[in-house]
Amino acid sequence: MAAVGGGGLQGYIVRRLLLAVPVLFGVSLLVFAVMHLAPGDPAAIMLGAQATREDVARLHRELGLDRPLPVQYARWLGRVLQGDLGRSIPLGREVLPEVLTRFKATLILTGGALLVAVAIGVPAGIVSATRQYSWLDRLSMAIAVTGVSLPVFWTGIMLIIVFALTLRWLPSAGMYAPYGGGDFADLVWHLVLPAVTLGTASAAALARMTRSSVLEIVRQDFVRSARAKGLAERAVVGRHVLKNAVNPVVTVLGIQVGTLLGGAILTETVFSWPGLGSMMVRAIQARDYPLVQGGVLLIATTFVCVNLLVDLLYAVFDPRIRYE
Amino acid sequence: MRIRRLAGLALLAVALTLVAGADAAPPKDAMVIGLLAEPVTMDPPQITDLNSARITKRIFEGLVAQEVGSYKLVPGLASSWDISKDGLTYTFKLRQGVKFHDGTAFNAEAVRFCFERQLNDKSPFYATGTYPYVKSFLGNVAGVEVIDPYTLQIKLKAQLAPFLQYLAHQSLFVYSPEALKKWGKDVVKHPVGTGPFKLETWEPGVKVVLARNDQYWGGAPKIRQAIYVPIIEAQARLAAIKTGEIDLTMDVPPDSLDGLRKDPNVVVAESNSSAAWYIALNTRHPVLKDRRVRQALNYAVNKDAIIRDILKGTAIVSHGPLSPVYGPYHEENVQKYPYDLEKARALLKEAGHAGGFELTFLVPESGSGMQSPVEMATVIQANLAAVGVRAKIQTLEWGAYLKKYLEGPDMAEMSWNPSIGDPDHMMYMLLSSDRFPPAFNAGFYQNDKVDDLLRKGRTTTDEKARVPLYREAQKAIVEDAPWIFVDHGKQVIVHRKRVQGFKLHPNFDLVLTQVWLQ
Repeated sequence: MAAVGGGGLQGYIVRRLLLAVPVLFGVSLLVFAVMHLAPGDPAAIMLGAQATREDVARLHRELGLDRPLPVQYARWLGRVLQGDLGRSIPLGREVLPEVLTRFKATLILTGGALLVAVAIGVPAGIVSATRQYSWLDRLSMAIAVTGVSLPVFWTGIMLIIVFALTLRWLPSAGMYAPYGGGDFADLVWHLVLPAVTLGTASAAALARMTRSSVLEIVRQDFVRSARAKGLAERAVVGRHVLKNAVNPVVTVLGIQVGTLLGGAILTETVFSWPGLGSMMVRAIQARDYPLVQGGVLLIATTFVCVNLLVDLLYAVFDPRIRYE
Repeated sequence: MRIRRLAGLALLAVALTLVAGADAAPPKDAMVIGLLAEPVTMDPPQITDLNSARITKRIFEGLVAQEVGSYKLVPGLASSWDISKDGLTYTFKLRQGVKFHDGTAFNAEAVRFCFERQLNDKSPFYATGTYPYVKSFLGNVAGVEVIDPYTLQIKLKAQLAPFLQYLAHQSLFVYSPEALKKWGKDVVKHPVGTGPFKLETWEPGVKVVLARNDQYWGGAPKIRQAIYVPIIEAQARLAAIKTGEIDLTMDVPPDSLDGLRKDPNVVVAESNSSAAWYIALNTRHPVLKDRRVRQALNYAVNKDAIIRDILKGTAIVSHGPLSPVYGPYHEENVQKYPYDLEKARALLKEAGHAGGFELTFLVPESGSGMQSPVEMATVIQANLAAVGVRAKIQTLEWGAYLKKYLEGPDMAEMSWNPSIGDPDHMMYMLLSSDRFPPAFNAGFYQNDKVDDLLRKGRTTTDEKARVPLYREAQKAIVEDAPWIFVDHGKQVIVHRKRVQGFKLHPNFDLVLTQVWLQ
């Protein structure tokens, strides 16, 4: 990442974005293939038992599903290049505004989950590392392994049963209250359970990475020097260790954004969060090809951008890294 | 330390929002309904799913309506109608002075416009949507004519008894032509009808708010607003109804029903529905083509245990394709298949399969109206094993399942709750030989006598003459056992005590016109 030729930071960013084009093309081809090779027919799913042969055939013709697959893909790609993601089959609505609206909700959830992950994961990792092999270390790592292993839909339903059904502290579904509400406080109130559900697994992954990363730095000479010159342990860890341990943690954080976007699909379904994930589940079940393809394209683009951002952040945290 | 102070402040803020949020109480004149999913579309002829229908049927109306709580037809936007002697010409007198929510007038021209949009693929408005049921519901229409502003004539190509019921189906509901011209394809999110409620807001994935139509011709509804929120997860619906966050919902976990019945704050409303849950048997299969074998399978399955232990009493045993909801059309006096292993074994032996045989058993993971498909399949598999029939379960996701279902599986689960309140829509659609796949007679059931009765049934407009046709057909079908008849699911709606006057409808609709809040 350090030596990528001339052009400075801007040139680097442009090159990285250009490299994203074949990636996105590959993703779109893959999603198209998987969706169309999976058995199922949007017309049959829509019509159900009332279907007549004529109505199924007519729907196929009007949706362009009677054409060969390569032709369908080429037509879709051609329109995408002009900025038209088409219309959802059952919804009849344009895909682009639809996925963008939903994506906002997903970003809020992912952001909340990331906050939970960092707030729990990083301190837990530091404590574990600085008190290696203490009971606190063992406990937090045990919790971390459990956190990574629990499926989000299970965690989600358990949290609903405890905090919504039994204790009645928090709402069980949605992003805003059905009446009144609609403000920031209402949003936070609804965000707590889904964000904790989604953030737990990432917190665990983050804790483990922070722990090993800090452990590696703590053993280095400059830390010993810092201690030798009489700095308080808090200052040693805070000022010297963390600064140097942060890069691998940022890498994991970047990867976790991808995991969170994926995990959001289940979390959103459990909590009826109006994001891209819950929409995608329905779209896949309905074989709503345009909506699924549009949604995946948006997620893939986000992932590419986050990866780029992570690479750029390295330079911020580590002055030795320069993009030239 | 500064960080600590900030963290403390943040915690305080979170605590405050929690307290503030917990205070939100439902308004006195607005009702919140938790649906399984948000609506797909609000354009009547494009609707194929129950959630969309449950909302849009409040906004739009048809010429003919169903009485609340039954399939009995009553006047809707047409105040009366007349059917010609040959059964081919329907003349409707329309209500006068009715206005669409956008202020434009409802009249015969508007009705013609709505039908024309679907029927005439050369009309400029045809391309504003796809019409999944146009052939099913309008395929038999020869012409629609405006006689005068409030008289409309529809001519049919052939006699079709369920036609009036079709007019009570949302795909033939009437919407404002001006709204369609204004919105084009985007009419899917801008519904303008004549109904008791009109759309106030629709935030995708969040909520749909309907407001009372004070000018409604049938008298304004009592509640000011109906708010629909999608709650996908059953546990979350349960939590929301118990805490009073929502006023009405459905499909809560069956295990929770006992507790809910004892809860003083909620009412569990139950009624029989027109749904049928069955296993289609492939009548062309080398072993299953023998009627005795299919009867044996019916005897072998313990329906009572399934309803008691898996469905927790939310269904009744099925004795044929039509549930008792169909009133006079339902035939009680059919051959019965109680749980009887001896009889099953005897029939198998008689058919030369005493040693048993093997079948592939197609099962969906989930699906509309499928109840608990996997658990039920497991019990049925064990039941069949007791008489030597080895059913190999193959589980598929719903979309993939539907495709496989229509490719002639040995035996496959299916459930249907017709949106049309006519026996034709259950029996002809699922059991006539005119309806082999890709239509829904997936077991290729064919009995000439039944075919004849069902064809006669759909072309006889005199109800008195129709009833015996369907009753006779049911007897023949049940004796032929083209399905394993399992259960008719009940509708179970849970609502808060403050909701008054709510009535269940056999096709799972949620009618709100007569509802008030205490």
